[in-house]
Amino acid sequence: MSEPAAPSGPITATGTAPANVDGQAIAITVFSTVKPLGRLWLPLVFWFATTFPKSSGTLARLSFIHFARWSLVRKIPFNGPPQRQEKLNYPHLFFESNFNGGWEEYIDAFSHILTRGMKFFWGTSYGFPQPLPTGPFKAYIKRNEIVASHFYGAYPEATTTMVLSALELAPKLDAFKARTRNLSPDAFAEQWRAFLADVEDCL
Amino acid sequence: MSNSSGQATAFMALTPIRPGEEKSLRAFLEGLPQAGSPLARLAGTHFARWVILEDWVNDPSQGRQDRLETDYLIFTSNFDGPLDPYLDELCVKLAAEAREIWGRCIGCPPEATGPQLKAYLLHNKIDTGFFVAAYPHATVPQVKAALAAREQLIAFAVRTQGMGPDDLSQAFRNEF
Repeated sequence: MSEPAAPSGPITATGTAPANVDGQAIAITVFSTVKPLGRLWLPLVFWFATTFPKSSGTLARLSFIHFARWSLVRKIPFNGPPQRQEKLNYPHLFFESNFNGGWEEYIDAFSHILTRGMKFFWGTSYGFPQPLPTGPFKAYIKRNEIVASHFYGAYPEATTTMVLSALELAPKLDAFKARTRNLSPDAFAEQWRAFLADVEDCL
Repeated sequence: MSNSSGQATAFMALTPIRPGEEKSLRAFLEGLPQAGSPLARLAGTHFARWVILEDWVNDPSQGRQDRLETDYLIFTSNFDGPLDPYLDELCVKLAAEAREIWGRCIGCPPEATGPQLKAYLLHNKIDTGFFVAAYPHATVPQVKAALAAREQLIAFAVRTQGMGPDDLSQAFRNEF
């Protein structure tokens, strides 16, 4: 097998290949080779981040990530010949994210806001530079990124912020409808103005 | 291991591509339309992708190099609810494409559908270590309905600016 090339072909305004884009949504898929220490370290990081979700609160505050995941591939499932049994010298860290915005901004935000978390997740990967400055880190991600062959989003034109706003708005709108059903026009107009002021941040 | 966040589930399958089928598989996947993607038939799918892994990325600082014996197909999905019913649905509603996709992978059952395909995907499952979702308790239908309501409300608010109480009240009741 040959060394996979960095993402090639045209780069869109989002800073990534067109195949990684569906509407506003962008796919990033990255593999990195993990040092032997990571075999023990990364399961601890995963356990800690899952068990104490507040520890990854900064990640949740990155308002442009819909879903993200990390997996540690320690062995490749075997299906019998003609597949050859893969012998891995090292575990491999898989990372994917579904986000909106630009690729460059995404990596910048990761580097600046999640500086410590990034060291936890990628610190045991070979070749991982420090998150800052961002230049070497971006080059590292580009080198390790795989372009999607097909990427699908169910609501591609919606950003994460739009989704969160809509989900916050929905019950407020239902409640408004219920409580204004029998109001006079004047009372309704007054309530409507108050409602718009209340949900302004969701619009 | 954490394959779920709230009601959302993460699934990943890593399947070996039959030698000689790499190009045709890549061409098939790249030819799938995004608008009208077959994955849209799975109503609980938030985001999903197929990726072809040609080899590991090795770093010069490694003592040894890792090399794959064959290319691999990665399928990942972020979806609503538990894995079992999702895969049941996938193995029926994606049957036509599954023959063109996993049918090009080593070990895939000839029919590439139903319980045999499900068992194949489960055999090649890679567990998620850490999974994070921005809105882990919202299903795809809930997200779509909320987005539609938000759009409708924004349009209504713009359209009714300056309207008097009688017209505003009537317009709201007509629309909502």
